Amino acid sequence: MSFPRINGEWMTPKRRFLSGLFGGRVDRIPVGNPSSIATVELMAATGAFFPHAHLVPSLIADLGAAGHEICGFDTIMPYFSVQLEAPGLGSEMDWGDKDQMPDCTTHPFTTAEDIDAITVDKFLDTYSIQSLLEAIRILRKRYPDVCIMGKVMGPWTLGYHGFGVQNWLIQTKLNPEMIRQAIDKLKEFTVAFAREQVIAGADVICVPDHATGDLVSPNMYREFLPHIHQEITYRIGAPIILHICGYTINRLDAIANSYFDCFHYDTKNDPVEAKAITGKRISLIGGINDPQTLLQGTPEDVKREAVVAAKAGIELLAPECAIPTATPVENLKAIVEAARQISGLL
Amino acid sequence: MSLEQLAQCIVQGNISEAPKLARKLLDDGLPATTILNEGLLKGMEVVGKLFKEMEIYVPEVLVAAQAMQLGVNELKPFLSGEGSISKGTVIIGTVKGDVHDIGKNLLVMMVEGSGFKVIDLGINVPEAKFVEAVKEHKPFVVGLSALLTTTMKEMKGVIDALKEAGVRDSVKVMVGGAPVSQAFADSIGADGYGENASEAVDKIKDYCNI
Repeated sequence: MSFPRINGEWMTPKRRFLSGLFGGRVDRIPVGNPSSIATVELMAATGAFFPHAHLVPSLIADLGAAGHEICGFDTIMPYFSVQLEAPGLGSEMDWGDKDQMPDCTTHPFTTAEDIDAITVDKFLDTYSIQSLLEAIRILRKRYPDVCIMGKVMGPWTLGYHGFGVQNWLIQTKLNPEMIRQAIDKLKEFTVAFAREQVIAGADVICVPDHATGDLVSPNMYREFLPHIHQEITYRIGAPIILHICGYTINRLDAIANSYFDCFHYDTKNDPVEAKAITGKRISLIGGINDPQTLLQGTPEDVKREAVVAAKAGIELLAPECAIPTATPVENLKAIVEAARQISGLL
Repeated sequence: MSLEQLAQCIVQGNISEAPKLARKLLDDGLPATTILNEGLLKGMEVVGKLFKEMEIYVPEVLVAAQAMQLGVNELKPFLSGEGSISKGTVIIGTVKGDVHDIGKNLLVMMVEGSGFKVIDLGINVPEAKFVEAVKEHKPFVVGLSALLTTTMKEMKGVIDALKEAGVRDSVKVMVGGAPVSQAFADSIGADGYGENASEAVDKIKDYCNI
């Protein structure tokens, strides 16, 4: 007599996701969300609305958990924006509204030396950072078998916050040495926040670091980031995902050598081409387009895209980036249904 | 010292040499409009082409635009009124709820670099402000920018507001930004979509028959 399977599945969400992350055997293709899947519908279902759900630990946990409880994802990702670190660097914040994401309204740095005014301890003591850590502790206790995913911005994205995107990009050309020094200092915040999330109970850390082909050249990525990413992955120590939205095919080879376990790719990139470049060096997660398919498409459209990604050899299915808050929940559920169909469980 | 060298300075984003060269050419007796059109704007045209072909990226364009601006500053006292250098007016803004300005600024620089007068409405621009600006400046084109999937829906609001005010048919409405696509542009009744700033400039030129 064997132990009964639930929906034909024999792995817990955590085992499934982690195994997929490392390119291992799975009972079905895992479904995760390295970026936010918070929607207005999920906020209404949990009573946890933006902007409070960015900052109140119990609300962060409830809204994050909805992705697993309601949509059936294998992961819980409780960091819904890209801005929790910004106040820790000294930026003033607009925390947005129910359907508007937060953004930093000031950028405190003009030189790499300015960063020295912020110690790692002071940074970690920031209210938005402490709130996320508490939410992860709550979730860890509540969901021992679900993959809790932490998130921390990489030094390139922290540079956007601290210096302003336009100024940061201009300085990459006018003062590259200053940018190198800034990245070296900012990476300490990335590592420290990630380590705290691991201690709080995160199974996986996602590191968005937006050196995207929509903004900068592949040479710039190769010049400033791979060695820093290698150091970050080693020092964080946990299973780790790199997220860069937009076009990335022309830097994917370098990304695959950055020691991340997995790369969260955008549907601007062809999954077959992406897989051909990365091979087994790094797993790929993603495959479902946000603005067209998830927001405006049908569950059948979602399933079609999931099949295309799976056929290309993508190890884990996910929306390509943070989804629009108006995305229908049925389209999110369709990703999980697609995963079951693809793996022959439905 | 030549106009070609000045254009090359812009392409290379040489912010220290561009204003010096522009000044030198003025001192050599070249008309300011010639230096502008055959030097600075010529350089930006090459920048736009290289950007479109993904030979250069946003940082290179930003620095080139800075170089051009520094060159224009040298010429300004000698240019005989705005009208003589403008190919037409374009209004550009990031829609309500969206505070991102990098894509919008890039477009502003490239449209200006193509010889148009740009009214930059800034970020987080409400529908009424677009309508007011269209009535006041009578542009050829209105460009709407959004970085977020949460704010792209505001673009339709602007188009509806222009219709309601009776000025929709007087302008071409173009949309752009990371989450925006041709399909989305079609679905909200926009006239055009630019996948990047360079493509947007080409379409604006088409609309203005340039």
